[in-house]
Amino acid sequence: MKLILDKEKCIGCKICELVCSAKHQGVFNPQKAHLKITDSYTKTGREQEMKTCTLCKDCIASCPVEAITFNGNWLVIDDGLCTGCGQCVDACPEGAIYLNSGGIAAVPDFCEGAPLCVEWCPRQAIRKEEEIS
Amino acid sequence: MSYRWEVLRVNLSTGVANKEPLNEDWARKYFGGRGLAAKYLYEELGEGVDPLSPDNKVILATGPLTGTIVSCSGKLAIVSKSPATGLIVDCSIGGTFASQLKYAGYDLLIIEGQAKKPIYLLINDDRVEIRDAENVWGKGIYETDIILRKQHGTDTSVLSIGPAGENQIPFSCVGSEYRQAGRGSLGSVLGVKRMKAIICSGSKDMTVPDMPRLLDLVKQTIINDVLSDDNIWAYNEGTPMIVELANSSGVLPTRNYQDGVFESAQNINAESIKGLKPEKKACFSCALGCGKYLSLKETAVEGPDYETLALAGSNCGIGDLKAIAEFNAKCDDLGLDTISLGNVLGFAMEMTEKGIKDFGVRFGDVTTYLRMPELVTYREGIGQDLSLGVKQLSQKYGGSEFAMQVKGLELPGYDPRGSWGMGLAYATASRGGCHMSAWPIASEAFGDIDPFTIEGKAQLVISAQDSNAIKFSLILCDFWALSMETMSQIMSCLLDRDVTVAELESAGERIWNLLRLFNVREGFSVTDDSLPERVFKEVLRSGATTGKVLPRDQFDIMLQEYYRLRGWDNRGIPTPEKLAQLNM
Repeated sequence: MKLILDKEKCIGCKICELVCSAKHQGVFNPQKAHLKITDSYTKTGREQEMKTCTLCKDCIASCPVEAITFNGNWLVIDDGLCTGCGQCVDACPEGAIYLNSGGIAAVPDFCEGAPLCVEWCPRQAIRKEEEIS
Repeated sequence: MSYRWEVLRVNLSTGVANKEPLNEDWARKYFGGRGLAAKYLYEELGEGVDPLSPDNKVILATGPLTGTIVSCSGKLAIVSKSPATGLIVDCSIGGTFASQLKYAGYDLLIIEGQAKKPIYLLINDDRVEIRDAENVWGKGIYETDIILRKQHGTDTSVLSIGPAGENQIPFSCVGSEYRQAGRGSLGSVLGVKRMKAIICSGSKDMTVPDMPRLLDLVKQTIINDVLSDDNIWAYNEGTPMIVELANSSGVLPTRNYQDGVFESAQNINAESIKGLKPEKKACFSCALGCGKYLSLKETAVEGPDYETLALAGSNCGIGDLKAIAEFNAKCDDLGLDTISLGNVLGFAMEMTEKGIKDFGVRFGDVTTYLRMPELVTYREGIGQDLSLGVKQLSQKYGGSEFAMQVKGLELPGYDPRGSWGMGLAYATASRGGCHMSAWPIASEAFGDIDPFTIEGKAQLVISAQDSNAIKFSLILCDFWALSMETMSQIMSCLLDRDVTVAELESAGERIWNLLRLFNVREGFSVTDDSLPERVFKEVLRSGATTGKVLPRDQFDIMLQEYYRLRGWDNRGIPTPEKLAQLNM
């Protein structure tokens, strides 16, 4: 699975980030979201970018205890194995992994196939693609 | 928790930053934002403090909704004593700053004292530093934002002043992410303090009592309410749609309020702006997204919004949309309030054309008009005079009968001769000539209620003032026209107690009375609650308002009815009984 941002539609409200942290951690905190909309302002306009899991699997390679696996659609963490060392957090080129309040790595799971960011986006700017081209 | 229960207090004279507990009693009675910040200012600022002295304070306030997924909750309230008016001033500004302050762990940020040299404040959770601002002092708001974010990371929010604030222009604003806290010269209060900017980022969790319940409620409100026809105009067309409404109602300020109909209105309306292909942009946690963002040749602007189109457009006889957008961008970057500067120029143009005083500016002269933001900001040439603002300018050179201001604050874009309740709203607004406290014109000139009567207008204005007072304290944006019932549902869910409509209404009235008490303490009363002579005496000349004034005797009756319904005496002072009833 993959998330795609339509920059023409995105208004930068960050509701996707808020619902992501609410769903996965039960809190509001954009720092604890598996996707990040970045707005940068310049003299000639606003530039937007979405960072989220691309399934590059660098995290899997970085994990010293093999706690992260790929189930064919998204990433899965084994809470029992994860030591909270944070190597996957550093390895993720998209900044989509963080440590939760229990010190365990929170890896992107696309809400197990039904991403709330897609459901909540007020402008339908985020869509999911099942197959990776 | 919806509150952090923490206030960050920074004294720039001593360089000390302290954290202190939020006053729980005040939070219960004033909720947050505008109301809570006003309470702190009222209690902490003695009577008669010079707004341009180090003794003045600037209070930045979040509300209980800030940082949550509740829609339209992204704004920040900024409260101080205004150098333009001597009144309490509260502004709100959109973007992401408020949420960052909340995630950093603070409900309120209080700025006191005066730095010895230009500084900016850096807040990153518990880390608070006062930093040297030599590299950004003198720079525009746009560039300051770029430089500071390059230095500290893009995942931060910057609030800053431009050269106009540094130079203490009495209509200088505070800017952030192409938006402004525009009115009452907050820019100059920070300028005196030598505070160029605040840069803030936060990473602390915000918890709520019942997340699934809140998410359900918020989702329903977004689908059924925020994005409904009542509000979606803000996304589709935004405030520029008011140009047509105001023009056809004969209330579009034209050539310094000499007329209410502008012959070139069709060149500056919502359709024309669509032709420039603006991008849509929202504040933090806003599903609506009213922002219209234009990229111009060398700069960018969020806008022009209605007030700018009216005051810096028709009011200056300017029907050239690109020129207005360029003027808007210059003002936003230099840190000038477009409403006030538009009024200043309209006034100066009329003075010039009437031969009273030649300022060298004429209605419709785009070239001169576009030079004005710089000349005023740096007080060069005629900018020296124009930087005084309309009230002082008229005191110096005459023309006070057509100086379109109330208590020193230049009027926004709705001619009260075509909406008599709007006249009462201007006369009684806590910050002077202001359209944010109440907007009765929506039901008068733009609605079904007869605009040319005082019947029922006092109550109409009071209800709007009270409901906006609580709305801007929670903090919710005025573009979400939500009911008190919905407000009560959201607050009950968020605070995990029964927050009734009656409690919210009562808090709104309490906040309004508090703002009044502040101003009464500064010596304001019935004689100040008035309007420019032009409104009372000079008839409008075209369209739906032809032949109309707001007669002075009618205004006086309406004002006294307003005082009576408010429980204030005939001088406009809240009575002890009213204050006791409001538990103040």
